[in-house]
Amino acid sequence: MGEQDYILYEKYLSGDMPKEEMMSFEERLKTDSDFNNAFQLYKETSSFLKHTLEKEDERTKFKENLQKISRAHFSKASDNQGKKTKPFNLYKYAVAACVVLLFGLFMFNQFSTPTYSDYSNYGTISLTVRGENDALLQTAETAFNKKDFAKADKAFKSLIVLDENNAELKLYRAIANIELNNFETADTLLDSLQKGNSVYKYKATWYLALSKLKQHETEECSAILKTIPKDVEEYKVAQKLIKKLD
Amino acid sequence: MSEKKLHEDQKYIDGLLQNNSFIIQAIYDRFVPKVVNYIKQNSGSVDAAQDVIQDTLMTIYNQANQNKLQLTCPFDAYFFLLCKRKWLNQLKKSSNREVTINEDVLSKDDKAQELAFETSVFGEKESLFAEMFQKLGTACKELLQATFKIKSMEEVANSLGVTYAYARKKKSLCIGKLTELIKASPKFNQLNS
Repeated sequence: MGEQDYILYEKYLSGDMPKEEMMSFEERLKTDSDFNNAFQLYKETSSFLKHTLEKEDERTKFKENLQKISRAHFSKASDNQGKKTKPFNLYKYAVAACVVLLFGLFMFNQFSTPTYSDYSNYGTISLTVRGENDALLQTAETAFNKKDFAKADKAFKSLIVLDENNAELKLYRAIANIELNNFETADTLLDSLQKGNSVYKYKATWYLALSKLKQHETEECSAILKTIPKDVEEYKVAQKLIKKLD
Repeated sequence: MSEKKLHEDQKYIDGLLQNNSFIIQAIYDRFVPKVVNYIKQNSGSVDAAQDVIQDTLMTIYNQANQNKLQLTCPFDAYFFLLCKRKWLNQLKKSSNREVTINEDVLSKDDKAQELAFETSVFGEKESLFAEMFQKLGTACKELLQATFKIKSMEEVANSLGVTYAYARKKKSLCIGKLTELIKASPKFNQLNS
């Protein structure tokens, strides 16, 4: 295809073509298959460029976050494996000791009352870099992961002021507040998340129940757990906890 | 597309698109171990698995970003098939055999197969386009980068110190050039056949 054709394609795609020219252009697309094929490829290439170049920053952020999570996942997995394969001469005794220990733990778990710390499993968080509040996000993330929840709470509070519909931040702030025993703040945040429609809806329900557990409000905890539907990730562990509470 | 019933696992696609750490984490916890096992059983290492998985998630993200990926099957099956296909292709490449996209019995009603096939063709195309883009001359690359980032052609023309008409003509010629590079590559014909 010649230069003239490319110029025509661009003119057509940008919507700058006068009506009459457009009609004859479209007619040619129908009758001239080489012209049509070249146009389709031009269109596809243009759309590829649009998406790749326009959203380059977003994609870089996603990639960085993905790499971070991937590295964390695989280093954790290889740690576990390392432990498993470590040679140990007295392994028979170790196995025996483990069995006894496991049995003990099992009995202990059966008869002890469940506590908040048995179930809070948020691990470390990784907040992605979004826009201008990078430093603050970083502060929040680091503080949270270092379990400096007071500092994390402060950072989350400021972040939420700037981004008041961000459910992820609200959830983390609520968790920080459970840790700080600021149940009123935590429960208010979780309650609003639970009533909303974000992806964190049931995570929030789960943590609201855990908050009640930490406040020794067993009945309320149990009632909240029962609202977690079957198809949700937290369903199984919620059912287990309900059984233990009964 | 819209009449197809969306699977509830669409939440994973949406989560990736939103760069949602909880969801990405959940994908690693739930679906990744199976892929790692598969690759380990098929002459691969954990490191290789890590790369395949990361590339696959990147492709899913890009496809979702570009043409509204709608999941009509469980994420588990879709993701596993994609990783498997990617890994088998890599194996073939490294053993210097001819690379063909091998279809294990693709029946039209198998949604996971179909969807995974679409995504992997998308991924191949995307990497071909990106590779060819790098082959363009510097002037073209810069102009296209400016055009698609700034959006307004007037501003682009201003920033490059050329007239509006010239900038637009140049843009169409550069895209034209890129299509020629793409068409001339052997991989393009494989993908389009």
